[in-house]
Amino acid sequence: MVLNAREEILARLKSAPPASVAGRPELPPAREMALDAGQLAARFEEQLAAQGGIAMHAADETALLAKLEEILRQESVSRAMAATDAVLAPLALESWGQQVGIEIVTPSAFSDRDGYTRAVFDQVQAGITGADFAVAESGTLVLVHDELQPRLVSLAPLVHIAVVPRARIVPTYEAAILSLFDGRRPSQVTLITGPSMTADIQATPFKGMHGPQKLFVLLLG
Amino acid sequence: MKVTTDRFRQTALEELANARTQKFLQILPLRLSARRQEAYGSFSDPEAAHRLGQAIRGEALARLPELLETFERNALANGAKIFWAADSQAANRYIADLARSKGARYVTKGKSMITEELGLNDHLAQCGISAWETDLGEFIAQLLEKPPFHIVGPAINIPVEQIRDIFLEKGVLDQPTLDPVTLGRAARRFLRDKFRDLQMGITGVNIAVAETGTVINVENEGNIRFNKSAPKTLVCVMSLEKVVPTLADALHQLRVLCRSATGQAAGAYISLDSGPKKADETDGPEELHIVILDNGRSAIYQNRHTREALRCIRCGACLNACPVYGKVGGYPYGWAYSGPMGQVLTPALRGLAETGDLIRACTLCHRCKTICPAGIDHPGLLLHYRNKDVQADPLLQGRGADPRERLAHRLFALAGSRYTYWRIFSKVLSRAARLFGKGAMLRGLGPLGRGWFLSRDLPAPAKKSFHERWRQRKD
Ligand code: SF4
Repeated sequence: MVLNAREEILARLKSAPPASVAGRPELPPAREMALDAGQLAARFEEQLAAQGGIAMHAADETALLAKLEEILRQESVSRAMAATDAVLAPLALESWGQQVGIEIVTPSAFSDRDGYTRAVFDQVQAGITGADFAVAESGTLVLVHDELQPRLVSLAPLVHIAVVPRARIVPTYEAAILSLFDGRRPSQVTLITGPSMTADIQATPFKGMHGPQKLFVLLLG
Repeated sequence: MKVTTDRFRQTALEELANARTQKFLQILPLRLSARRQEAYGSFSDPEAAHRLGQAIRGEALARLPELLETFERNALANGAKIFWAADSQAANRYIADLARSKGARYVTKGKSMITEELGLNDHLAQCGISAWETDLGEFIAQLLEKPPFHIVGPAINIPVEQIRDIFLEKGVLDQPTLDPVTLGRAARRFLRDKFRDLQMGITGVNIAVAETGTVINVENEGNIRFNKSAPKTLVCVMSLEKVVPTLADALHQLRVLCRSATGQAAGAYISLDSGPKKADETDGPEELHIVILDNGRSAIYQNRHTREALRCIRCGACLNACPVYGKVGGYPYGWAYSGPMGQVLTPALRGLAETGDLIRACTLCHRCKTICPAGIDHPGLLLHYRNKDVQADPLLQGRGADPRERLAHRLFALAGSRYTYWRIFSKVLSRAARLFGKGAMLRGLGPLGRGWFLSRDLPAPAKKSFHERWRQRKD
């Protein structure tokens, strides 16, 4: 029965009169391709701001941690969950949190999925993640989810803080995404452009519908 | 959802008299059109980008069977499970059985027109499983049992008072309020509880990528991401035409889709899923089921004209461009798909028997065709449907022409076959016109042609015909 449906559908599609494939128009390179590193960062910030995200610069790790503390205090965060991806791992946020008096938990601290889910939904006020790329053309963060980058950390808490090395700002989606699928298949890749938003009631826009109400992007370097 | 495509006229008249509908229609489509226009400006060559998007859809359709097989192969290799559903019953049964086998008492859904097409919520309810819409607009529309008003804002026209009342009634809200943000927060809290304990999530699919076996969703609220991340079982339902050849194609289609739908360079969240979570990942689905839905599409695909309707990427740009949608809004179209998008899709999927008014509610102004990022020729397709309808086409369940109309056409042809007949005919007609005409316009011919004149009028014929004047002039 299951097989039949498949075969029948495909047979019907294959028996249809063929159509020719028309040529594709030549597309001039995206405007972002002509930008230098500084201009790319500016374009990223401008596009992110258009969607309600906030970008900040930090020259080095010390400056970054100072900014992070400032944001967490300003948002009254007493407990945050941090991913342990390649960008965040060197920052050792758990022990840093102990020093500054803000509790930072990591997903690996939970022995089971339920405990983690409860924590990320209900027990933390912010999620901190690295990002694999920042795309200038639309002000978009690219997160590759794996064992070090769980999906809900950037989604369930009301505040999302993402750290991106400046060298990871690329002009277009292609520059970020095609390489991620070269020879591998990340189970999930998420493109994030601004906080969660809606305008579904009377066209009144507001942020934080289901996901974060605020998105901070810390550009490192 | 009840299908009311056969009540197009009545519903349209109601909506024309509804002040609130009219108020929203004066703002929303114009605003979205302007934003789209501006967003296209960020392309290095907007016209070429538009045509590339159309070419991708054209190629996707031309290569459809081959691309579906490639997609299936790659999705299976990624560890996804594939179910081919011949029709909505098969898809609904599969999803309900799956929910039951997972012990899910309820499921949540991301906004998807495809599950509205399936009537999935009703089917699950019959099986004792409640299905919660989680897009705010869809959630409100679901509680009120209304079809989507606009694909981008399904409940945008609903007065806050009505939202407050239904939220209080359904236990979403404890304290009455008319503040849209407070109402939104209440929905957030209510649905968050559902997400936290979720067993199974259901989403549609915006784009499926053949070369990587990836399914892609676009959204602004984050509810789809919750559906894809929180539960252990995820079902993604895709109509079979969603597949494109390559990841690069998908990236370009995302650009035109987001710009066409909301005027954004990118929706807040775009998620690309290739298979279930890996064993060492903390969250994400342990099982990813992809339902590939036919539901009449492989039959439509046989015909070169009707096939064109399958290009649609559901951006909603044509709604905003359409002068008819701009007056009557989404309800008259009577099903999941409204505006020009609905006018080309609904007859193809449900036949012409109950969609006769849909295919005629068009002035053939061509604005939808010009704006469509998928390259659909809506007016051409509507003329094709009208033709099939009067020809009583069996495949599309055409109804055949009204006998009175057929008689009128036959008489007209006869009158035109000889000059003497024509002279008599035009004399009689201009008499009748003077008898029934009001001032400079002819708005009816008494009992004759009642249906014809319902939405048409003509300038009243001149007292003397051209031929009469010509003859006098020569004398
Ligand atoms: S028909 Fe074209 S413009 Fe209308 S929703 Fe579909 S893709 Fe968009």
